[in-house]
Formats: sequence, structure tokens, C-alpha cells
Amino acid sequence: MNKGGSRSTTSLPPEPVEIIRSKAHYRRVRLNVGGLLHEVLWRTLDRLPRTRLGKLRDCNTHESLMEICDDYSLDDNEYFFDRHPGAFTSILNFYRTGKLHMMEEMCALSFSQELDFWGIDEIYLESCCQARYHQKKEQMNEELKREAETMRGREGEDFDTTCCSEKQKKLWDLLEKPSSSLAAKVLAIISILFIVLSTIALSLNTLPELQDIDEFGQVTDNPQLAHVEAVCIAWFTMEYLLRFISSPSKWKFFKGPLNIIDLLAILPYYVTIFLTESNKSVLQFQNVRRVVQIFRIMRILRILKLARHSTGLQSLGFTLRRSYNELGLLILFLAMGIMIFSSLVFFAEKDEEDTKFKSIPASFWWATITMTTVGYGDIYPKTLLGKIIGGLCCIAGVLVIALPIPIIVNNFSEFYKEQKRQEKAIKRREALERAKRNGSIISMNMKEAFARSVELIDVVVENNGENMGKVQDNHLSLSHRKETPKRTTSEMGSTQSLEPSSPDKAHPASPQQLNTQKLEEMYNKMAKTQSQPNLNSKDKGHLSKAPKKRDEIEMGIIPTEPAPTTDMRSMSSIDSFMSCAADFTESARFSHSPSTIVPGRVSTNPVLETTLEHEAMVSSHSATKVPGGRGSKHGLFSDSPRGLRFSNPLKNRSLKVNFKGGDADPSSSSLAQGPGGGALSDSSALSAHSLMSPEVSVYTTASSKTPPPETLIPTVFTFHDASISKFIDADTDEEEHLHDSSGTNASQRLLGKASPKLSSYSSHHRVANHLEGSQRMLGNSVFPLEARSGGGQGNHVLSRGERSRSNTHNESK
Amino acid sequence: MWTIPKPRYKNCNSLDTRDEAEIAVNIGGVKLVLYGDVLNRYPESRLAELINCSTLSYDIIYSLCDDYDPGKREFYFDRDPDAFRCIIDVYYFGEIHIKRGICPICFIKEMEFWKIDQSYLDECCKSDLTEKEEELAEIANKVKLILDDLDVVPSFNRSARYQKSLWKLMEKPESSLPARIIAIASFLFVLVSSLVMCVGTIPEVQMEDDEGDLVEHPTLEAIETTCIGWFTVEYLLRFMSSPNKLHFFLSFMNIIDFLAIMPFYVVLTLTYQGTAMMDLAKVQQAVQALRIMRIARIFKLARHSSGLQTLTYALKRSFKELGLLLMYMGIGIFVFSALGYTLEQSHPDTLFSSIPQSFWWAIITMTTVGYGDIYPKTTLGKCNAAISFLCGVIAIALPIHPIINNFVIFYNKQRLLETAAKHELELMELQSSEDSMVKATRKSGALGALESSMRTSRSDNSIPLIEESTRTFKSRKYCSETESF
Repeated sequence: MNKGGSRSTTSLPPEPVEIIRSKAHYRRVRLNVGGLLHEVLWRTLDRLPRTRLGKLRDCNTHESLMEICDDYSLDDNEYFFDRHPGAFTSILNFYRTGKLHMMEEMCALSFSQELDFWGIDEIYLESCCQARYHQKKEQMNEELKREAETMRGREGEDFDTTCCSEKQKKLWDLLEKPSSSLAAKVLAIISILFIVLSTIALSLNTLPELQDIDEFGQVTDNPQLAHVEAVCIAWFTMEYLLRFISSPSKWKFFKGPLNIIDLLAILPYYVTIFLTESNKSVLQFQNVRRVVQIFRIMRILRILKLARHSTGLQSLGFTLRRSYNELGLLILFLAMGIMIFSSLVFFAEKDEEDTKFKSIPASFWWATITMTTVGYGDIYPKTLLGKIIGGLCCIAGVLVIALPIPIIVNNFSEFYKEQKRQEKAIKRREALERAKRNGSIISMNMKEAFARSVELIDVVVENNGENMGKVQDNHLSLSHRKETPKRTTSEMGSTQSLEPSSPDKAHPASPQQLNTQKLEEMYNKMAKTQSQPNLNSKDKGHLSKAPKKRDEIEMGIIPTEPAPTTDMRSMSSIDSFMSCAADFTESARFSHSPSTIVPGRVSTNPVLETTLEHEAMVSSHSATKVPGGRGSKHGLFSDSPRGLRFSNPLKNRSLKVNFKGGDADPSSSSLAQGPGGGALSDSSALSAHSLMSPEVSVYTTASSKTPPPETLIPTVFTFHDASISKFIDADTDEEEHLHDSSGTNASQRLLGKASPKLSSYSSHHRVANHLEGSQRMLGNSVFPLEARSGGGQGNHVLSRGERSRSNTHNESK
Repeated sequence: MWTIPKPRYKNCNSLDTRDEAEIAVNIGGVKLVLYGDVLNRYPESRLAELINCSTLSYDIIYSLCDDYDPGKREFYFDRDPDAFRCIIDVYYFGEIHIKRGICPICFIKEMEFWKIDQSYLDECCKSDLTEKEEELAEIANKVKLILDDLDVVPSFNRSARYQKSLWKLMEKPESSLPARIIAIASFLFVLVSSLVMCVGTIPEVQMEDDEGDLVEHPTLEAIETTCIGWFTVEYLLRFMSSPNKLHFFLSFMNIIDFLAIMPFYVVLTLTYQGTAMMDLAKVQQAVQALRIMRIARIFKLARHSSGLQTLTYALKRSFKELGLLLMYMGIGIFVFSALGYTLEQSHPDTLFSSIPQSFWWAIITMTTVGYGDIYPKTTLGKCNAAISFLCGVIAIALPIHPIINNFVIFYNKQRLLETAAKHELELMELQSSEDSMVKATRKSGALGALESSMRTSRSDNSIPLIEESTRTFKSRKYCSETESF
């Protein structure tokens, strides 16, 4: 990496003296934030010495400088930050004027991340902006929390490890998720029909023509309708019991509001039977009858069972729960109006003879009926004064009722929209899963997935796990997933022991990196899922243990993941993957571990989800391309991609670039970078190409291209514009992409057999996997060379789109 | 980089050599070349001053700009380039529009720096500004109130201190536990007395007195007296503790309080003394009339509910719309009752005996209440009724919308204000703690001074109202912290 901007890659970092001299020489400093140049006095930055920019002033060594900014050039007196330029304007104004205002069009969440990055407390926001900011943030957090809850509720059902757990899960899916299968859908429809039927029966029962008279002279139910009722109740009971049996957490099931409704719908029937049977001859029959009557009324509750099948009803319930404040207000308004008008009309009407306004409580009824504009006409004022009051009462009623309702409506519509969105997201994911299973990838709208939160990551991981299970169904059953954790560790140990040359992996669990590591691992897992199907396809018998182990890693790590909800930081940074990555880049930066700086950016493989051998290819590729300098240094390290992944903070950087790399990072691409990235996208293109949606392909291209600095060789310049704008778009959609790519291999495998063109790709992959699986070391050293000979040339010249590149590749094959 | 093209009409007065002067300016990294003739259109502005004095000493130059590069003759300003892009418009078009996304308050600061009068800001952007300013003022008020609550003013004498604490006890339910208990008790008393008033009118509960008239049950009477006693005590305590008696007396809430207790005492005096002045029947009538005024106590609930306060506020603000509503209704009533009356004349036993009589029908129909005591019987009358009903719905729905809007805005604003005030307080606390830290670690004097001067400049203009209180707050805070050391 060219630390010194225009400096060549081989040169050493500048001496502290140089830095100090440069700082002393200029009164001003040029800050390049995401491509936008700002110029500011050093003096201005000194005003807030504890912020990131304030620290920039005090840094005199190369390492400390690199911790603070992403790149710098002493010659130009320019410091580069790879951040969103929009927010920076307002942040720089904070230094200038001491007032932190927020750009109006800026998203509150991303602004808060920017503030985090620049080390400014959000509390400094001016009053005029902070109200909006906090409101938005709170709202967002609430929404995300809710979403996460529902997601967890849906996906986090871990079935315990008994032998029948699979069946239990199937039953649960059948009963609880109507969209999961056709049978479940049919079941749901039948259930709805039963509810409707039983309600109709209940109402018909009260028709005098249909009622019977029993021996006591009391009216009882029609026997036919009683049968209907019994059948319905039997169905409900069965449904409830099955649900209960299949539920993963009994207590949670018991507590669920929908299940309470179910219980209330069936209980009255049994209580009635019990009471009538046990008290048939007892004296206090009348009392029993009354109780029975009450229980009969409770049968009405079963209509609420429909809520299970209707989002609208659920959101109504939620709205009412959430806007109880406003409902209280409405009732208060009404109560006050009723009080006032009923007493007024009482005093106006009480001297009238034969009046119905006998007392204030008696006229409450009139006031209620008038204010709600129902107007039965059983009581109405007769005097002139009474009529005037009545007219005022009407108007006041209309006003008073209309006022708080819009707030409630607002709540409702918000929630309803949210619910709809969620439903759509779930449906889409299911469709994706299906597509994976079927071996075809449907085109995905990448933008939409951006809206999903980082919390979904764990869901995604889990999903991937599930997908894996499904994909491998033919040779790996779900129950096989359980492996001893020892295996995992031993595997990890072995991979690490294979790479003695990696010095960085020596401290894999340094405390500050714990979080980042976990995240990393998660990403890694996602990445790995991609390679698995190929492994299986190639070495079914031989390597079938490997996927299991990996699954084990996944299963083992998901629970230990830091719960995102509890972490405010990740909460706030939820809106995109990109920011999440950025966050932990920061933490890596602040960890002051020297290894963060050393590797620089050669490792910036923009597509993280590529398989391990891809990465190896990239790095060694770059190593071979650019001998000496940092590139080669990293190349050596990257002989052990696994070890690096797990232990090396340099990967933080790579992750960072991966996720927010869309912000043009001109300095990050060196001679080594371009081809490296190219090679990488090349390989990922192999898997993705022609199977993925166009957007995805764009993404892969884009991510491989880092906008070059002026010093770059001309061939790399071809990357320039086309990618960047698309890149930023595409970049936002990491997780969806993960989905795609993780699914691709499965489909690719299938398609690969069919289409001759593709088979070359897949065979290519197989080779890679085989190499990697059997002898990692060898694979890492050999494969990149192969890749270079194959795709490398294409990368240099073409680098326009992976289509052409892979064509080259194909030919070379 | 971007430059502003030299205006075409420059050629016309190109003879003037002085106006030919052009300067290169660098505003926070954005460089541009400006021409003297353009800048001189507003001679009092900073840039014009700069161009006029560019030949003068460095001192003046450095007083005007932040940095000067004599080699390139470039003036550097450490300001926001985005805002400058808008401000430069004034030289070309004579008016300024705030770019979307820049906070108006922030923009005004920039305009002040460039020494351009606020009046050049175009009308369309001014509304934004005033809106923001109003909001700020409201927040400031709120913060001031909170600060007042927090204040444990080292009073000058005992009575003042007692008065203050009593005031807090009675008026600020959030300030302490006893205050909250008092507020809840008062709320309950209002409820009980309202209930007693209602229940007292039920014939079964009433008792007959010596003359055969129905009077209230003695128990209810006793409860009523207790409630009135509480209200009176409350009112008197409030009055005594209030810092400004006249203001207290005239405030809306207190007038309601007064109206709620006054009838009782008037009735009391009338029953015991009134017979001496006038005959019994008149006294009874007066008492009856005064009883109605008891209803006023229901409004006392408003003191305890922010929602009710919002309602009154919204109604006050939407006075015009309410008038509109009444006007629409009035016109509708007149038209349809007259129509209904004439159309119903053909029916032999019509219920519409006169136009004033059919007013009632029109109201009830237009508000969709429809008691059914009066209804049209002829076909034409029925058609008229249908139309009047439709018109009524529209007449009500149209003006109600702005009223609702007002209500919703105030309702949301109230919540927003609360968070804003909270935030402002936090900010103050933070600043004060930082200030004390700066003071504690003030070794590098210049830097500390700069920082603290910047800090004090923070709270200056945006919230001038609370500046005072901020300062006291800060100093108090500082005192307490130093004490704790």
C-alpha cells in the first residue's frame, strides 16, 4: 500500500521528524473525506483535541497517523479518510463554529455512526437538530428491536436434540407457518373455516326457531348445532394440543397472547360440560345455569382466533397496545364532554314535565349517544336551552372524537406498513431458499435487503446453516450436525499449525478483538458455506466430515454471538452491514495493535464471501505480481488465509473495505491491488457468473474494482467510473449477496452438470476445493499460480466486467 | 473546483480599473476567484472589505480572513463551503436561498460571518428559519422552567425559601414525592366531587326536607363540603406561595379553580343571609343557577392532564377554523331548515311547525345524530334531508381537518419538547463538567482559553434566554464539584 500517497510502494514510512516538519510547515491541512477535499486550519482542529481530528494533530509517527486516518500524503499535506463525505461537512462545521448541526437529508442512524467515527458525542447536537435526530433514532431502534424480536421468534426456535425433534419441527412448521408448505396452508384454511363455522353455529343457536326445550322447560341448544359445536371444539382442542406438543418452548407457548386466546376459546366448552354434568341433580341449578351462560358468552372469544391468520388484526392489537396513551386521551375527552353536557342538559331540562333527564347519571346516556352522533332518539331535549346544548354537544362530540384519532391512525399505519414489509421480507427469503433448493436463483432486488438489520445476520447465518442442511440432504442428515466441539478446535488447531509462517495468528483472543473476531467468524462461516457444496460434490465419501465440522462451527458460534440488541452500538449501526463492518474496524483501530497497520490494504479482498482459496489466490497473486514492498509481505502472510482470518486484525481492514469499500478509496489500490481484486472477482465470478441476477454480477465486478489513485498503471484506470456508482448501490446489500453466493454453488453444481460451459467452472472449483480440502498448504501455494495463469492476464487487460474476464479464463482452461 | 463565471455585463464598466480587482478565496478547501465589481455591490460585507483593503497591511487581512497565502494571493477562510455557495448568490442575484439540508440556524451564523444582512434571505426560506427559531425559543422556555424547578436558590430569607418550596410542592408534581402525592390527592378530590355532584341528582338518593323539596343527601353534602374545603385550602396555598399574585390570579387554570369553589360559598352566604335581603324563591333560583357552576370543577382535571392542555391550546390556536366550522354549520342549518320547513308544509301533520323549530332538526341531521323526534314525511323533504346530511358531513369534515392538524402538531411537539429539554440539560451538564475539567487541567493556557471561549460561545445565541441560567447552572455545578474534591 502506498502510505505516502504519491510515494512508491517500496518506500519506507516517513520518519516522525518529517511528519512534524510537515505539520509545522503548513498552517492548514487538507482533509480528503471520501473524495471531497476540505481545507481547514490546524488551529481549528485543536479545539476538540479528544476527537479523531483533534488527535490527528498530535500524531507524529506513521503508525499513529495510520490509526487515525486511512491514508495521507505529506507532500500534499493531505489526509484521507474513507468516510461518507456528506456528514463530514457538518462535522467539520462543528469544529469551525462549535455548533453541531445535522444535514437534513441525512439518515439519523448513519449520522450517528459518523459521529461515532469522528469521536464526537452526539450530545453536542444543537437543539434545533437533535430533537429530530433523537426522535428518529428512537423510532428506528424501537423498530429494529421489534423486528429482531419477531425474527428471533421465528427463526430462533431451537429444537432440542431428542430423536423426534425433526418431526416436532415439521409439525411446528405445519401448524405455525402456513406459508411453509401446501399442507400447512390447507391446514390454516381449514382452521379458519372451523372458526367461522363455529361462530355461525353460536349465533344460530340463539334463534328461537332453532332452539329446543329441555325437561326443565328451559331452552337449550339445537342438537344438530351442538354436534357442530362439538366437532369444532374437538378440532380446536386438537390443534391446540398439537401446537403445544410441537412447540419448542412450552412456557413461551403458554404465555403467547394468541395461544391464550386459543385456550380461552376452548375452555368454556369444557367448563360448561363439567358444570352441567356434575350439577345435574344439585339444587343450585339456577346458579349453575348462570355460570354456564357466562361461559357460553366467552365462546365469542373464538372469533379472536382469526387474529392468528390476519396481520391486520394483529397490527390492530398492537396499535391499541401502543397507543393506549391516546386512547386514554380519547376516553378522557369523551368523559369530560359527557360530564359537562349531561349536567348542563340536566339543569336545562329538569323542570320540564315528563322529562327523561331525571338525573345527571341518567342523562349520561343521552350525552354519550349524542357525542358519538349515534342518536337513538329515546331521550332528546325538549326545551330551547336543552336543544342549544344538544347542538353544541353534537359539534363538540365530533371534534373531541376526531382529535386523538389521527394519532392512533398514524400508529396503526406505521405498524401496518412495517408488518407488511416484514412479511414481504420473509416471503422473499423463503422464495430464495426454495430457489436454492431448486437450483435456480431468482433475481433479487438488492436495495430492499438493505433495509434489513444487522441483527438479521445471525438469522442469515442460521439460514445458511439450514440451507446447507437442505443442500446436503442426500448425504448429510441434520442430526449428523452434532459433532464434538473438540473436532472443531482440533480442526482449527490443525489449520493453524499448518501455517507457522503467520505471525499474527499468535494472539487470536486478545480481548479488544473479541467482538470483531466473532463477527469475523460469522462472516467466515458464511463464506465457507459457499465452498461446501463443491466439496461434497467432489469428495463425497472422502471429505464428508468437513462440512459437518463447519456446521459445527456455525452451530457452536451462533449462540455465543453477542446479542445485538443489547449492544447499543450495533443497534445504532444496524442499518447496514457496511456500517457494522466500519464499526469494528474502528475498534480494531483503537485497539492500538501494531498488526493492524502493517498489512495495509493488500488484503482488501472486496468480496469476503469468496471461498478461502479465493482469498489465497488473491493474496498470493498480488504477491507474485508485486514482489517486495508491502504487497509481498502480505502475500507471505496470506499463505495461511485461515489463520489470518481468525486471528489477524488485518482482516478487519479487509472487512471494512469489503463492506464500505463503495466509498471510493483511491489510495487503497496499488499495483498489487488491481489485479488482486480482479483475480478475486474472477473467482467469485466463476461461481456467480451467469447464474446470478445482473445486479449481483455488477456487484462482483464493482467490488473488485477500487478506484485507482493517479499513480496507478493505466490498465487499472479502466475500472474507473462505471463501477463506482453502481458499487455504492450494490454495496449496500451485502447480506443478500451472501445469500446469493452461498446459494450459487449449490445451483451451480446442478447446472454445471447440465451445461457444458459451466462445467469448466465447476471443475475448476472442484480442483480448488479438493486442493484446499486435502492439502491446504499446497492448495494455497499452487492454486493462485494456476489462477494467475488462467485469469490473471484477463484481469490486467479487461477488468471491465467479469463476463469477459471469465471468458478469458475459460479459454485458458 | 468550481468557479463562478464572470458576469457578462462586466465588460460594460471595464473602464473602472479598481473594480477589475479579483481575489482568489479558499473557503474551507473550495477555491474560487471573485471579482471586485461584483463584491462591491455590498460594500459592508466581509468580502468587499477584503477586496478594498487587499493592499493594506497583513494585520487587517488577518483580521478579515483566517489565512493568507501571499504567493498565490489567496485568502483562506475557515468556514463552511456549502453555506458560502448559497451566500455568494447575494452578490449576483441580490437574494439568498438556503440550500436544502443546511440547518437555518447554522446558516444564519454563516451569514453573520460574511457580514451580510439577514434581510437578504428570501421569503421562502425565512419561514423555515422562523419555524426553527420558534422551536428553539420553546425549548429554551422549557429548559428554563426545568432549571427553575431544579434551582435550590440560596434564598435571601426564610419566608422566601418557604414560599418557594411550597410553590414547588403545589405546582410541580414531578419535583418530589410529597408533591406527587398532593397532586394525586387533588386529582382524586376532583373526581370524587364531580361524582358526588352527579349522584346527588338521582331522585332515589335525594331526601325530602321539611317543605317537601328534594335536597341532597346529607352524606353527599358532607363529602361535597370536604372537597370544597380541600379545594379552598389548595387554592389559598397556591395563592400564597405564588411569586406573582396578579399573574396567578389571572391565569386560566386558577380562574377555573376559583369558579369551582366560589359557588359553594355564595350559596352558603345566600342561604344564611339571603333571606334577609330577598324572598326565598329568588334565593333558591340563585342557588340553582350557582349549582350549575359546579361543573367547572371538571375542568380542574386539565391541570393534571397534558392532553387536555394540548386540546385547549389547539382550540385556542385554531380559533379561525372553529369559526369556519360554526359558520358552515350555521349556513347549512339556515338553508336546510328553511327548505325543510317549506317542503314539509304540504304534509297535513308535519313535524316542522316553524323555521326555528326545524333548526333543531337541521342540526341533528347535519351532525348525523338523528334522534328521530322530528323527521320529514314528504318525498321532497326526505330528499332535502339526504342532501342536508351529506352537506353536514362535508361541512364538518372540512374545517375539522386543520383543527386536528393543529392538535396533532401540538401533541407531537409536546413530546419533542420534552426530549429536547432533557437533551439540553444533559448538554449543559456535560459542558459544565468539561469546563471544570478544563479549569482543572489548564496548563496550556492558550489552548484552554480557546476551548473554553468556544464553549461559552456555544450557548450564546441559539438560546439566549437560558444563557443566564446556564451560567448559574454551570457555576453551581462547578462549585459542587470543587467542593467534592
